[in-house]
Amino acid sequence: MKTANDVLSALQSAFPGAIEEAKVAPERQLWATVKPERIVEVCKYLRDNHSFDHYSGAVGVDRIGEGLFEVTEMLASHGAHQVVALLKVKTRRDDPHVKSLTGLYWNANWYEREIWEMLGIDFEGHPELYPLLLPDELVGSWPWRKDFKGYPDYTTAERAIEKITPEGYTEYSIPPTEAEIAAGTVPTERPKYPTFREREEMAIEESSEMILHLGPQHAIVPGPFLLDILVDGERIKKAFLDIGYIHKGIEKIMENRTYVQGIPITDRLCYMAALTNNEAYCGAVERLLGIEAPERAQYIRIITEELSRIQSHLLGTAEFLTLIGSAVLSPFLYMIIDREDVLTCIESVTGARINHSFVRFGGVRNDLPDGFKDMTLDALKMVREKTEEYKELFLSDSMYRKRMEGIGVLSQSEARRLGVSGPPLRASDTPYDMRRDDPYLLYKDLDFEVITRKEGDSRARVEVRLDEIIESCYLVEQCLDQIPSGPIMAENVPKKIKPEPGEAYYRVEDARGEMGFFVASDGSDKPVKVKARGPVYAYFQALPPLLEGVYIADVVAIAGSMDSCTSEVDR
Amino acid sequence: MELLSAITDFAAREPKIFAVILGLIGAAVLASVINVAAMAVVWLERKVMGDLQARYGPNRVGGRWGILQLGADAIKLFTKEDIIPRGADKSVYVWAPIVASATTMLVAGAIPFGAVIIDGREIPLVVANMDISALYVEAALSLMAIGAFMAGYSSNNKYSMLGAFRGVARMIAYEVPMGVCVISVAVMAHSLNLVEIVNAQQSIWFAVAQPLGFVIFAICLITDLGRMPFDQTEAEEEIIAGYNTEYSGIRFGLLYFQEYNMMLLGSILLVLLFLGGWNGPVIPVISFISPMIWFFMKLLIVLVALIWIRVSLVRFRIDQVTDLGWKVLLPLSLVNFVWAVAVGLYFA
Repeated sequence: MKTANDVLSALQSAFPGAIEEAKVAPERQLWATVKPERIVEVCKYLRDNHSFDHYSGAVGVDRIGEGLFEVTEMLASHGAHQVVALLKVKTRRDDPHVKSLTGLYWNANWYEREIWEMLGIDFEGHPELYPLLLPDELVGSWPWRKDFKGYPDYTTAERAIEKITPEGYTEYSIPPTEAEIAAGTVPTERPKYPTFREREEMAIEESSEMILHLGPQHAIVPGPFLLDILVDGERIKKAFLDIGYIHKGIEKIMENRTYVQGIPITDRLCYMAALTNNEAYCGAVERLLGIEAPERAQYIRIITEELSRIQSHLLGTAEFLTLIGSAVLSPFLYMIIDREDVLTCIESVTGARINHSFVRFGGVRNDLPDGFKDMTLDALKMVREKTEEYKELFLSDSMYRKRMEGIGVLSQSEARRLGVSGPPLRASDTPYDMRRDDPYLLYKDLDFEVITRKEGDSRARVEVRLDEIIESCYLVEQCLDQIPSGPIMAENVPKKIKPEPGEAYYRVEDARGEMGFFVASDGSDKPVKVKARGPVYAYFQALPPLLEGVYIADVVAIAGSMDSCTSEVDR
Repeated sequence: MELLSAITDFAAREPKIFAVILGLIGAAVLASVINVAAMAVVWLERKVMGDLQARYGPNRVGGRWGILQLGADAIKLFTKEDIIPRGADKSVYVWAPIVASATTMLVAGAIPFGAVIIDGREIPLVVANMDISALYVEAALSLMAIGAFMAGYSSNNKYSMLGAFRGVARMIAYEVPMGVCVISVAVMAHSLNLVEIVNAQQSIWFAVAQPLGFVIFAICLITDLGRMPFDQTEAEEEIIAGYNTEYSGIRFGLLYFQEYNMMLLGSILLVLLFLGGWNGPVIPVISFISPMIWFFMKLLIVLVALIWIRVSLVRFRIDQVTDLGWKVLLPLSLVNFVWAVAVGLYFA
């Protein structure tokens, strides 16, 4: 198996002079600063010769003190080796531009668009540099720059100008006041690009076609996002996705909080996966601080996170079945009952059912309560029996199979190209699981199987989830047997969290896939940059190509089988 | 007594006007009874669905059984604002719910609602006992799609339009096998009159004599009623509420009630055509209403079965629905027709 040092030496010999600084820390993570003009070549070399075929994301950091922007490209491999390459490109703040990787990695698109609209870094060669999260009137403000002065007050209803378009739509616009223009909060120049509606209308070719809005308020959306489909009759020709309706700016908020204050905010990324989000953030900060949680704390983390995975998969499957019109909520109501018992187990440890804020730097908040083992084993026994029953039910239901089989098929290569992770990727015959492929906590000591399916259709994705519930039950049982006694907090945790300057990236396997946190520190008590790389963001990006050519009714079968969570996309 | 004699005098003097007045009174009574019965069906559905889904269903308004819940809902619908969208085709939009409700009454007029035994003679409870009532009811049922299409077309809404298209496509695909099934029954009963079809089932139910026809008719009926798994016209996960997306207040109430009226009438039709209607052993003591008891027991079983199907199956896609109608049900219904003719001839 390739190590990070092998990759580094290969890089240095292949591109002498292009790699400026490089280090391997911790093992399996290769950090390198690459000359801006060579980044595409370096990435192409890594992709083609060292099987870095998974683009994990990109982070833009504003180093205002040095007058630089840094863009870190994060590359990994779908199981060929465990090295994560984090390639940093620096560009000047007054004229920021970086070469785009969209030609190499299809899914670099959204990550680069986000950095462009938030930081104003121009990506040369990007095919569609349109805003993704920001509304059109805010583009050009570059809100994530450190010298950002704040938006003009676009929320004042009295200033709104109502206009009815010839098509009958009502449009509102709020012009900035002169005081705001004088204060410099309104950008003088705005980028030019076709708006979302203009792009949609450009795609209409024949008079029989129409745009159908599914969202931002619609029964299929788990949170507000806009899925517009261009339909000809019942067939979809093209799908358009617009996100950002509930963008909360969590990453910016965390830059303005101390490290500890960031933990409860990570809960709000996705209410279904609060514990894994805690884990990803705390793990990244632990790497910055150079501490490690004691063994018992790590086991408690695994137990709670696996229980969290079980409840998330149960609810995800239940929601999905409701979406395909399954029997007017019946499966939803039954699965919710099963989920209650699991939530009760989690609550007894963390004290909360949804937003836990349970994981701490160097440990966990609470120890397991008395009687936890028996209660959990009972709940797991019930969950396992019920899950087997559901699986059998799905297998035997021919109408369910008719709706699900061969729908939204992601072939192995397509799934890898689109950059999805978690159950959708594993349903496409790719055994890629952070618990095994980028091991964290004590997962390497535990015995578990990475569930895969060959078909890659909607049904396979649901079955992967159901099988993972059973696998997680098995993992929790192992942990409950093996858990040692001991402290639940590391002793060398500093009173005041002030990590040394540097960066850390930590990935965990969320219920939905690869959840990564990138934290950059400058030695103060607040992070310079926090980046949450969520799995659902990647699914959403992959959704429009998947929807082309299917029936309207299949939208729910495909989108639902992805198990999405909008609040994590609109961080 | 004087009133009665005055009425009989009037009837003797002006028989035509009297017939019109009697017809209007009968229609009003019928409409009220059907709508109240449909409310009972809605209540039954919500209660049974609650039980099947491990929850309670209505249990606040009107005691622990929530009996008055539907009354409360109806008051809410009556008092809500009636909204007509800006771009709607106003006259069609306004008339669509009325046409839809009128369709139900057309069906109701020809359907026997059981029978009573007076002086040893069985008297069917039917308003218009026509010779071709089975065919008439079948035809009137298919008019349902007209009301839905008017609603969907006039709303000027994409979801409504898609729902309306789906409704018509589905109606065309399923009306044919359904009609063939009715004809197969008529062949065996030697009549198109619903009362005589029931009388013909005294020895054997047609569900037993032609099981294939029974299954096909039941599937087509669920499709016609637009109930799960065939509710593509108002699949909320895809097209919001389909053809009635834009409706609110009492207009929505009419469309909603029309569906339950149809569910009730369709179930009655199934009982009449295939489950022997009100035939059953005479119950002593209360012998005069024993046909009614049998009739309502069968009706209740059919209704609960429809609700049970609704809470347990996944919705079909619209292309799968039309595939099933044209490629499976239509050939099978013709097979059933041949069977009905052969068996009918043999036993005749």
